[in-house]
Amino acid sequence: MELGRRIASRLNEATFERIAPLALANAELNRPRIRRSILELAPAPPGEGDAALVIAAGPSLHRRGSLARLRAAGFRGAVVAVDGALGACLRHGIVPDLVVSVDPHGERIVRWFGDPALTAPPADDYFRRQELDPVHERDEVAANRELLDLVDRHGPRLRVAIATSAAPAVVDRCEKAGMALYWWNPMYDDHDAPESLSRRLHRANGLPCLNGGGNVGTAAWVIAHAVLGRRRVGIVGMDLGYPPGTPYARTQYYPELRALLGDRYAEAFVHVDNPHIGETWFCDPAYYWFRDVFLEMAREAGCRTFNCTEGGILFGPGVTVTPLERFLEESA
Amino acid sequence: MKRFLRGNYPLEVTIEEPAEGAPDATEAFERKALSRLGGSICFVSKKGFLWKGDDGDGAGTKDRQPA
Repeated sequence: MELGRRIASRLNEATFERIAPLALANAELNRPRIRRSILELAPAPPGEGDAALVIAAGPSLHRRGSLARLRAAGFRGAVVAVDGALGACLRHGIVPDLVVSVDPHGERIVRWFGDPALTAPPADDYFRRQELDPVHERDEVAANRELLDLVDRHGPRLRVAIATSAAPAVVDRCEKAGMALYWWNPMYDDHDAPESLSRRLHRANGLPCLNGGGNVGTAAWVIAHAVLGRRRVGIVGMDLGYPPGTPYARTQYYPELRALLGDRYAEAFVHVDNPHIGETWFCDPAYYWFRDVFLEMAREAGCRTFNCTEGGILFGPGVTVTPLERFLEESA
Repeated sequence: MKRFLRGNYPLEVTIEEPAEGAPDATEAFERKALSRLGGSICFVSKKGFLWKGDDGDGAGTKDRQPA
């Protein structure tokens, strides 16, 4: 088995070991601020009908113009956006019914909401390096300033499904912008196991535990069907990979892979032929793991899943690949 | 290795066998890589999507202030 796939097959345990200490520390800090459970969204879920559209922040969101097309279609179902797509949504005149945030990182995630503390380009090139939201690579400080204004303006209309693992800086920012926070715990382990962390956390704060599937996009998809009860869930911007021709240096884990592998770093990338678009995309081991997990979860889900990303590596049993317009028309 | 190879002449060097169960370079590298990569939330296989606790009180309304 090639190196990238071999690493991907072991990322389940590795993710737990890497994030659990920080995520649980954040949960403890966030505990006094919890006012609502995510389950309080269920009795009167946002949007009409039985469909939801999850907006992730992969490169196809911009390459395919998905947001402009969504706005033109006048979709009336629930729009669930990951934190990384919030700025792009607002710039396109789309106010998501629900924004999802989970990553415990102390400095990066607040940037998706506009970081009030950012006054100069940071040393961390995370936002400049990647094709996550193109406005960040042009002028990070100006993009942040614009996002602060946008989020402040729309904040009182926004609801956030926020994990207890979220960094306190993110919670501060959301609260100060007037957003309504609906809390949930990430599922860390088997809640039936002795000494389960998930069970201990649930006992401490009473919140439900949500199986997040490795990343915020998958968590948003879980929320769309398991919390909001939607039976048709479309997805845009969930590439879980990089378009052909993307320089390795502009990928999410490039610094880590370069530091670990030296000149052999390219061996860690996995290349996937996507027959639906006739392109070969590539991904790092983490994204390949996300794909495997998503396909495993999609087979068990109580909804039909439509991938309208029009790019990326997410296809397989349990996921219907379809153009965005067709999903929107059939969901009307 | 000594179990499989036998020479018909004495060696002038001592060949050290790797300790049983010791991680090789690939294993050590992969372990190091794993500590730097991964997702932002866990995945727990075969445990469903949402666990509300044994009594189903995932709303957690018992001891917190209402919004």
